[in-house]
Amino acid sequence: MTAASVVLQYRNVRKLYGDFVALSGVSMEVRRGQVVCLIGPSGSGKSTLLRCTNALETLDGGELLFDGVPLPKEPAAIRKVRQRMGMVFQNFELFPHKTAIQNVMMGPSTVLGLSDAQSRDRAEALLAKVGLVEKAGNYPANLSGGQQQRVAIARALAMEPEVMLFDEPTSALDPETIGEVLNVMKTLADDGMTMVVVTHEMTFARRVADHVVVFDSGQIIEQGPPGQIFDAPHQARTRDFLGHLGWDA
Amino acid sequence: MDFNFDPILQSWRFLLDGLRVTLLLALGVAVCSFVLGTIVGLARRYGPKWLRVVLVFYIDSMRAIPVLVVLVWIYFALPALTGVNLPPFWSAMFALSFHLAAYVAEVVRAGIESVRPGQVRAGLALGMSGPQIVRKIVLPQAIIRMMPSFGSLLSLAIKDTAIAAVIAVPELMRRADAVAGQSYAPVEVFSTVMIIYFLVIFPVTRAVDIVYKRISFLGRS
Repeated sequence: MTAASVVLQYRNVRKLYGDFVALSGVSMEVRRGQVVCLIGPSGSGKSTLLRCTNALETLDGGELLFDGVPLPKEPAAIRKVRQRMGMVFQNFELFPHKTAIQNVMMGPSTVLGLSDAQSRDRAEALLAKVGLVEKAGNYPANLSGGQQQRVAIARALAMEPEVMLFDEPTSALDPETIGEVLNVMKTLADDGMTMVVVTHEMTFARRVADHVVVFDSGQIIEQGPPGQIFDAPHQARTRDFLGHLGWDA
Repeated sequence: MDFNFDPILQSWRFLLDGLRVTLLLALGVAVCSFVLGTIVGLARRYGPKWLRVVLVFYIDSMRAIPVLVVLVWIYFALPALTGVNLPPFWSAMFALSFHLAAYVAEVVRAGIESVRPGQVRAGLALGMSGPQIVRKIVLPQAIIRMMPSFGSLLSLAIKDTAIAAVIAVPELMRRADAVAGQSYAPVEVFSTVMIIYFLVIFPVTRAVDIVYKRISFLGRS
């Protein structure tokens, strides 16, 4: 099997918030069809890196290449890049004044300029994919956390992105609804979607990831296949982190 | 003490016509101040720097000057300065709207800022432009979140019309003053007027509250 092409390449990425160094020289890459999980303690820079990826945050140093091209600076070009990446947030961020299906239609109708009928068809298919057709007319206030997050995944998929970015998608969920969201993500991964996932769900990372990256204090301390990270970590800090979560490496 | 409600019964048409003027003025002030205030609020939030400075000055002055002073200034001083002579009703409409719009602008700005930044990020992540995000995500939620404040400003719009009595706008308060003066029955006349204002405004504020309770979830992200 030939190696798939590199979709995202981070070269010595740096990000500062005032005096605080959020990312101090991060280098990694994501290949097409890969599921890459970013793990590490809170505040270690994983989410910041994700936000830099679709230019929700600007870089203070280094380079980020999407499909071999550095992230643009002009607003119109940035929007084009964002249209090719889907993002799922910790707090879902569904639009509360829109029903589930209207949330999913938002991207296709406002950004892609699809007709109402076209975006409705697309939205219905995606709601079916995440198992929520019967909730199409519900407002987010009338959906459980897990259902909201599945709608949010459908909303991101409606742009037919090349890459999906997940920012701790299950951290705000009740334990009993985490599974349904992870299942949807697993299905996506099996379909060959390229995914970058910031997560504290080690079982998911272990089972689904092709590549795991461990962050601490704005740096990558170790990266490799899940077998290495979870069963035979090279770094003591990785072992410490996993140990704190109750994971026996 | 004996109460004598005859003067009110005798001049009820006169007072009723005053109420009509009051409601007309209130409606005009509500519409004008809400339109102007929304524009000012949006411009203050999204406009260029120089415009924001001007608008902040306008808002601060309106909040620092009593509405009565604004009214009297526009009715007596503005004509002397500019030669433009507005009839009392239009002076009142202009002054009260201009004053209230500053408060509306502050409510609009606070409403916009109360929408979670994550909502904007969600729009950005979809590839939406700034104006699209404001129009389709931020404003619809902000308007719902502003409703309780809009409700109290609406009652203020009605109440403030009573101040127009000082420049002889023939609204309810002005006419009540006339009836009270002629009949020597201030207790009866002004109590009646009080009750009328209450009966007009109370249902308005209750109605806004009830509607808000039903739709507040649409603005809760």
